[in-house]
Amino acid sequence: MTIKLALAGNPNSGKTTLFNGLTGNNQFVGNWPGVTVEKKDGKLKGHKDVIIQDLPGIYSLSPYTLEEVVARTYLIEDRPDAILNIVDGTNLERNLYLTTQLVELGIPVVVAVNMMDIIRKNGDKINTEELSRALGCKVVEISALKGTGIKEAAEEAINAAKNMKTVPQHTFSGPVEHAIAHIEEAIVHEMPEEQQRWYAIKVFERDSKVLKQLNISQEKLNHVEKDIQAAEKELDDDSESIITNERYNYIASIIKGCYKRKRTNNLSTSDKIDKVVTNRWLGLPIFVLVMYLVYWIAMVGVGTASTDWANDGLFGDGYHLFGMGSKAYEAASEEYGNATNAAMAYYDFDIEDEKFDAKTAISDMKKVQGPLKSTVGVTDEETLAVDKKNVYYDKIPDSAKKDENTIQMTYMEAVKYFEKNGFEEPDPANYGTWVPGVPPIVEAGLDKLHAADWLKGLILDGIVAGVGAVLGFVPQMLVLFLLLAFLEACGYMARIAFVLDRIFRKFGLSGKSFIPVLVGTGCGVPGVMACRTIENERDRRMTIMTTTFIPCGAKVPFIAMVAGAIFGGSPHIATSAYFLGMAAIIVSGVMLKKTKMFAGKPAPFVMELPPYHWPTVGNVLRSMWERGWSFIKKAGTIILLSTIFVWFTSFFGVVDGSFRMLAEDEINMSLLAKLGGLIAWIFAPLGWGNWQATVASITGLVAKENIVGTMGILYGGGDGGVYHSISQAFTHVTGYSFLAFNLLCAPCFAAIGAIKREMNSAKWTWFAIGYQCGFAYVIAFMITQFGNFFTGKGNIIGFAAAVIALVYMIYMLFIKKYSDANELGDDFAINARAEAK
Amino acid sequence: MPITLEEVGAVVTIKRIAGNDEAKSHLADLGFVVGSTVTIINKLGESVILQVHESRVALSESMARRILI
Repeated sequence: MTIKLALAGNPNSGKTTLFNGLTGNNQFVGNWPGVTVEKKDGKLKGHKDVIIQDLPGIYSLSPYTLEEVVARTYLIEDRPDAILNIVDGTNLERNLYLTTQLVELGIPVVVAVNMMDIIRKNGDKINTEELSRALGCKVVEISALKGTGIKEAAEEAINAAKNMKTVPQHTFSGPVEHAIAHIEEAIVHEMPEEQQRWYAIKVFERDSKVLKQLNISQEKLNHVEKDIQAAEKELDDDSESIITNERYNYIASIIKGCYKRKRTNNLSTSDKIDKVVTNRWLGLPIFVLVMYLVYWIAMVGVGTASTDWANDGLFGDGYHLFGMGSKAYEAASEEYGNATNAAMAYYDFDIEDEKFDAKTAISDMKKVQGPLKSTVGVTDEETLAVDKKNVYYDKIPDSAKKDENTIQMTYMEAVKYFEKNGFEEPDPANYGTWVPGVPPIVEAGLDKLHAADWLKGLILDGIVAGVGAVLGFVPQMLVLFLLLAFLEACGYMARIAFVLDRIFRKFGLSGKSFIPVLVGTGCGVPGVMACRTIENERDRRMTIMTTTFIPCGAKVPFIAMVAGAIFGGSPHIATSAYFLGMAAIIVSGVMLKKTKMFAGKPAPFVMELPPYHWPTVGNVLRSMWERGWSFIKKAGTIILLSTIFVWFTSFFGVVDGSFRMLAEDEINMSLLAKLGGLIAWIFAPLGWGNWQATVASITGLVAKENIVGTMGILYGGGDGGVYHSISQAFTHVTGYSFLAFNLLCAPCFAAIGAIKREMNSAKWTWFAIGYQCGFAYVIAFMITQFGNFFTGKGNIIGFAAAVIALVYMIYMLFIKKYSDANELGDDFAINARAEAK
Repeated sequence: MPITLEEVGAVVTIKRIAGNDEAKSHLADLGFVVGSTVTIINKLGESVILQVHESRVALSESMARRILI
């Protein structure tokens, strides 16, 4: 028979450390049904039939926070065989408050007093025998950090589960006990004996959830209400406060008998750090510094390198093992590029042309007698921008030697280069230790098997690319999660929330919302995942919904393309994109807070600041890995399926009446193009209702940088290059509208997967995506209509509609009052919280 | 008077918790009940960091004002 043990305790009592110590690697991480609270269970080391259920950290069984609701529901409804209650020995009063409630549940309880090493070091003493007698349950001394006593604690809990009963030893004052006795008799006497007391106390406290569950007749309710009121009158307080106060009085009396404190309260290290870190003037600068470090390490230092490796190396062509040979290859590649560009300035050639012949080309090249200076158009691979660069025939003048707009190789040198090295591009495999990426290996394997083209396409462009999209983000995410786990575990995260809360509260966000947004400038996926550190569920949902408004790294090439092609390379476009993102977050925060879904007074800020301490390496690494893995598992499927869908629709289509697979530059005949044509009218009010822009936006869902590639294919082929064609297709107004829409609308599938993982609810995921797309649409619509109107091309109906949208937004932002409706009211937990009033 | 008016470093005893709702019971869960001894550790604007029993708790203005001493 399996034994279920529940691990319960206050936040920061060392519960996670104890759980890790007891279960090791046999852990299962998920979510409690329907809510964003994490659920963990695991098998006790060395006991196959003992399951430990880790409950969220809670202060009491009154349903104030979502965590408390979840824990309480589990304890009452699932009734574990025993509760292992971890108690912070250095903070007994507060921790025992929960214990006095747990022992009333009628489930055997074993108390593990943690941090015994620190207590001994301080010279304090806890008389556990006396404590055990006073609480009515077994008490074990442990140090979760050092791992001492934890096995014994688990054994005691198993023992208790098998053959022990916990009988609460504390009694309340006469009037209360009198009322409770009446309640037991009138209402709960049909319940199992050991559960009667807990329910009776809850009825006395008028706990609305329990009252509802018991479904008591009005008559009986009136009867016991008289007793409750009598007790309240006699003790001059409300029933809930009476119980609370009497619990604390009881705890105070226990502690007198069994806890000897030697140390007097002098300034601890934590106090000293807090004096600086939460200082009025220093708090913010220190926070900025810490965040800069986190950002730099995660996004720039380690993050970019690892993501590039995963995306371009492992899931690209390949990579040089430990970077060996990278430099030599880069130098060779640059030389080849320079030679090609220099030669192109005087002599046009295409090595991919079938008629191309190296010998003829060289001899033709030698014949060219050009001017001393010529120019060549160099295309940027990322943004497809074409830059004009100068090339000199046989000598670069000194003045141009460091000029960025001059190719640092003359035409004559280029011809010599090709004569010596041929026209083949340098192969990275010839430099250092080259490890091919997954796609080339798979491709080679498929070629050997003579796989059909469509199968190759499905596997390479659909599945491998999809898996790559999932895994490509993981290294960077792990680095970030490592840093966040450290900040959380050492105690600084709670201070961040405190310092920033006053500022973010104004926009309906939490003090911790800053971190996801900051991380989101690098990549939205870890940004959304970083929302995990926000306690309040409403704030967390709000932050998840708005984080991806900030332009992420993948949107940067697209922004550069729009700026370059339509706005003549104006640097203000990129700046404005970030302001647009921030404004979208603030505006959405304020507006959403006033909707029914987020209604309710902003929760007042109450948070415990745990003492600073060095976290254990194991705990930090485990926390990092759990989050990374849950992303792979939970977000992976949706990303993979979506990628395959977009691959299929963009590489298949009907050509000349027959359905077949298409080449890369035939996307205009694809199913996706057809689909784009069908829905393009939706974007007509935004001024860019053509299928090209629509298709580009759809491929942007796979990865935002794809927009650039798709635009390149769809607008290529004309005279004057991609940028010229784009500038013909868009005006300034519609171009910016197109930019705004794609920046604000649904993020890439990977980020959507992360949103789904974090929301843990299909309804909320769809709401988030719907809101993002709707908001993007309205903003782009206003840009187009107002822009056209003021440039004299407006249409009166569109203008009127835009004015209405703007007025509505202003109304939501400044005039509408915060709704006072109780709570969200959409899932059991929130309901329970509202009912608890 | 509300605890927000007290100076940093002061050690005070709670006389009353204003209001009567779930927030009050949450304060109680954290150890803020009538009779508890509280030390004011730090103030940041109107927000305060208090020590009650052995734990530090940060409270926003609206919450802290309800603790009367």
